[in-house]
Amino acid sequence: MKIPSLKRRTFLQVSAGTGAAAATAPRLLHAMENDLGGKDIGPVTAVERRAVPTNCHVCNIQDGAIAYLENDRVVKLEGNPEHVSTRGRLCAKGNSGMWYSYDPDRILYPLKRVGARGEGKWKRITWDEALTELTQKLDAAIKEDPNTIMMKYGRNRTGGTLDRFMQTLGSATVVNHTSVCESSKKVGMEPTWGPDIETPDFANAKYVLNFGSNVLEASYFHNPLSQRVTEGRIDNQMKIVTFDVRLSNTAGFSDEWIPVFPGTDGAVALAMGNVILREDMQDSDFITNWTNVTVAELKAHYQQYTPEWASKISGVPVETIERVAREFATAKPATLFTYRGPAKHLYGSYNEKACMMLPIMTGNVEKKGGYCLPRGMGWPQPMPEPGKPAKGSYLSHPPDYPLAAHKVSHLVPFWIAEGKQKINVYFTYQDNAVYTNPGSMAVWGKLYKDEKLIPYLVSMSPFMGEETALADLILPDCPYLERWEPESMPNSLWPWLGIRQPVHKALGESRENRIMLRDIIHKLDPDGKRGMKQFWNFKDGEDYMRHHFDNVPGLKEAGGLNFLKQHGVWPIYGKLNPKTGKVSDKTGREIQAEYGLYKKEISAADMTGATVDKAGTISKNGKAIGVKRDGKNYVGFPTGNRVINVRIDQWAEYGFNPMPTFKRIPWHESMKDDELILSTFKLNVMKQSRTAAVKWLAEIAHSNPAWMNPETAAKMGVKTGDLVRVESAVGYLVTKAYVTEGIHPKVVSIPTGFGHWEYGRLATLKLKSKKSDASHGQDDPDLNNVWWDDKGVHPNNIIPVVADPIGGSQGWYDTVVKVTKAGPTDKYGDTEGSWEKHVAAFKETMRYAYTGDLHRKMHPEMTAWAGPESVKHKAGGEH
Amino acid sequence: MTAALAFEDPVVADPAAAETMQDLAQLREECLARANLYRILAGVFVEEPSTNFLAALREPGLLQSLCDVGIAFDADFLASDLATLAEALACEYATLFASSGGFPPIESVRLTGRFKQDPHFQVAQIYQRMGFAQVKGRFEVFPDQLGMELMFVAELLERSAAALAREDMPTFKRLEKESKRFWALHLGRWVRGYSGLIERASSHSFYREMARFLGGFAMEEIAAMGLSHLDDLDRGQLEVPKSEIKMEFNPDEPVCGECPPGLLERGAGSAAARVIPITPLHDLQLRG
Repeated sequence: MKIPSLKRRTFLQVSAGTGAAAATAPRLLHAMENDLGGKDIGPVTAVERRAVPTNCHVCNIQDGAIAYLENDRVVKLEGNPEHVSTRGRLCAKGNSGMWYSYDPDRILYPLKRVGARGEGKWKRITWDEALTELTQKLDAAIKEDPNTIMMKYGRNRTGGTLDRFMQTLGSATVVNHTSVCESSKKVGMEPTWGPDIETPDFANAKYVLNFGSNVLEASYFHNPLSQRVTEGRIDNQMKIVTFDVRLSNTAGFSDEWIPVFPGTDGAVALAMGNVILREDMQDSDFITNWTNVTVAELKAHYQQYTPEWASKISGVPVETIERVAREFATAKPATLFTYRGPAKHLYGSYNEKACMMLPIMTGNVEKKGGYCLPRGMGWPQPMPEPGKPAKGSYLSHPPDYPLAAHKVSHLVPFWIAEGKQKINVYFTYQDNAVYTNPGSMAVWGKLYKDEKLIPYLVSMSPFMGEETALADLILPDCPYLERWEPESMPNSLWPWLGIRQPVHKALGESRENRIMLRDIIHKLDPDGKRGMKQFWNFKDGEDYMRHHFDNVPGLKEAGGLNFLKQHGVWPIYGKLNPKTGKVSDKTGREIQAEYGLYKKEISAADMTGATVDKAGTISKNGKAIGVKRDGKNYVGFPTGNRVINVRIDQWAEYGFNPMPTFKRIPWHESMKDDELILSTFKLNVMKQSRTAAVKWLAEIAHSNPAWMNPETAAKMGVKTGDLVRVESAVGYLVTKAYVTEGIHPKVVSIPTGFGHWEYGRLATLKLKSKKSDASHGQDDPDLNNVWWDDKGVHPNNIIPVVADPIGGSQGWYDTVVKVTKAGPTDKYGDTEGSWEKHVAAFKETMRYAYTGDLHRKMHPEMTAWAGPESVKHKAGGEH
Repeated sequence: MTAALAFEDPVVADPAAAETMQDLAQLREECLARANLYRILAGVFVEEPSTNFLAALREPGLLQSLCDVGIAFDADFLASDLATLAEALACEYATLFASSGGFPPIESVRLTGRFKQDPHFQVAQIYQRMGFAQVKGRFEVFPDQLGMELMFVAELLERSAAALAREDMPTFKRLEKESKRFWALHLGRWVRGYSGLIERASSHSFYREMARFLGGFAMEEIAAMGLSHLDDLDRGQLEVPKSEIKMEFNPDEPVCGECPPGLLERGAGSAAARVIPITPLHDLQLRG
């Protein structure tokens, strides 16, 4: 056969006519990178990696994730495409989660303190030795008073195990972290409409009011909600208006960023309500039928909150308030979201309430594209359950804060120091209050170092954080990739149940929390005679999960825990559509959410034996179960009276204003011209205290200069990079300035998550100090590539405690500071807080509690209130 | 190999055989001696030393032997009573090896910066292949922990000694090869550098001196096994004095175009051409 003789030029010319033929020839090689995920092939081994679904726990959004393993080692983390909420996406933090498992600074064995607290001297002991010592301490504490055993937790996703443990011991002294999180948001919302958070239907909204959230980077629920914000923007041409002191990424994404004076979002929201009501743009039908006020009452009440009044307080122009109010009221559907901007202040609960009134009065509640109730799912607890402790705990339910249903954890050190409650054994779980709380080392560090106040400190942690470094005993916990946990989060319009399951064997001698606690109880009560062991009868974490999941209706039929082990989540609502990135059902249509949950009708069976009063409240067995409207029996809202409580009568019992209102922060009113307000914020790759040691995240962000406006900086003669001294009433710090127009001129803002003095060699940059010379291997691909010297400066030492007297929240964004150019002896990183000054701040904030002398002064509208002695019944309750 | 003669045979018919037997005996003794050293070093690093172990280490005979090779403990090791010493060393152990901020003696950590990476699994497979299963001591130990890796070589040496005792040379050779391979792929890649690190970082003379001993012993073992080109990836490369460096290239050699033909081509006169000394290159083939 004669082979065609082709020169290069010739054969390229041939190819010119081959287009059609080439297009129609079979294509049998598909690029895997174009798939939606769910499986992964090793690039070196070419072998499919083992995929184990789980739920992320780097932050608290609980995104669906899949861990890919080679040889029992996690080599990759990606989103779970079957998860209806996060739809296969995982943020940078989630992608880096394996760093927790393999961190070279991880604690793998029980450690007992040797030397003084905080000296850094430890001895490794066996679990048996640790449990023996611990149970001796617990025995003594139980004999004296079980309430002297305290559990303080930060991030608790155990699904009820910590409470079970403390109830087994008979102790009511359980304190969470929520007051430094967003408790005033919760307390503003719960008595109003039932749940503690909203689910804005961003994807279908036409208009969004965003007060103080940076949902595109942080907040509840960053990943799933930022997807929907983007969809709303693209698919609906939604308008989004953000009120924030800072040009966050969300504010930058918005159509309008309106800088607002810190803590005045509530005033702006009330003024917008004033405009809506005076121009009759409210949804009268909704207000009349579904709230506990009339339109007339609401209009009368809102008259006082004029745009002029709000403009003076907030700095937002009158015209802007009026225009945005009209736009919000007339755009249908519209929704609203708040996160921490309004809530983290003295009277943050009032701010939150004021904001949520806007979707309520415009009838955007539970509408498609509107302001929706959260959807979550629960699970049963293993039986039997221990009973509630006999005696209450001051620290757990402080009597001066009866409405703070989520406790006031950040005031605990002061109450302990005042002797309000004795503590013998203090457990800390997934917490790092020494770093994360106001006062930081000056307050919590001082508390933990005091062996008279905290005689025995036990940390259950895999990492040597600032708090764990002060412990007497460290019990090595498992990071999230090694744990069993039940999971559900109200982060989408479709409720779901999920699990966290060990994707690989626990390293070293780490034990997951429920196993650790079981082992403590079994040591205390080996033969069950003390009645404790019966509540801890399970083989292992998986066995415990079966108790949770094997009998959930619907899930049971699907396979119970086995289904969750295979898929990570239930239900699976459909398949991820590669074209749209949304979930489609079997017909290929996008799944639709259910709306109008409050208008679900009560069944005839449930109505049997029920009574209906004049207001239409349906009651059964002494409890309100619904509302009758237009002849139909609806379930209503999950409140005591099944309607939205615009007026919260319970607040009035304690002398607080039951109607939507706003209170200016007194020390903001009296601040001097050259003073600023300090706020803090989170970057998208950092959270609380646990991310600075994750190299891939630290590469992206590792230092935290203070943001300030050019106007402010010019007055000080400061430019970006200059050292500045930031001084508050309780301390000072020296940091670098970052001058930007993206911050309110009266605000200086510092990102959090930096400036660690513990938490491993990377977070502290100790790998660069002389002693740690060559502390890592020369080929360590990560620690050999730490090009930065700046680990940032932590601001919490200089932030005093402030407690919202209603919701209990810390006033994170209330601190008045003076910022000056650094002095000749100031060094970058200097920081100091004074315990005595922090105590003074504590005493000052207690004056605003309902029992304090400033409460009446702050509520002149409540002169009729008869005082603290007139309170008849206890309020509050746990969440 | 020639059959060994029975001991009861009064006639030594083959002096070479007798010499071979003596070699074997010596080799066996050497294996056992080396195994002991591996076991001691394993004992130092695998967990906190017990009072029994410390008592054995403080035996005058052993102390003298260590002193002869330049290992000298301070009073913090020699003078304290055993219980106090054990307590002090438990704290030092935790600081150096078993708590945050230390230097975990784990190959994965030293070479990749993280626990439980490739070396962990490779070593576990080797143990399994060679018929070993890890058992728990006082604490869970990673397979690529220094003490475990040293213990493994000790086991190989003891088996080698047993093979020699029954004159099973194929098994002996195989085990010898495994030892070398293990050093080449694992121990040798990090132990020298690591021992230097611990020597610098220790506060107590016990760990300082035992780290020095480990480093020296490692170098001896590597030389004895003929693994002279084994690179330590944990900052353990040898620092060679400049005077001992043999040049394999001529730094004065001009860049291309400077040789006489090049110069001529550029029109330079022959008088301007430089005399370039030629240095022969060394044979780059690996020896041994």
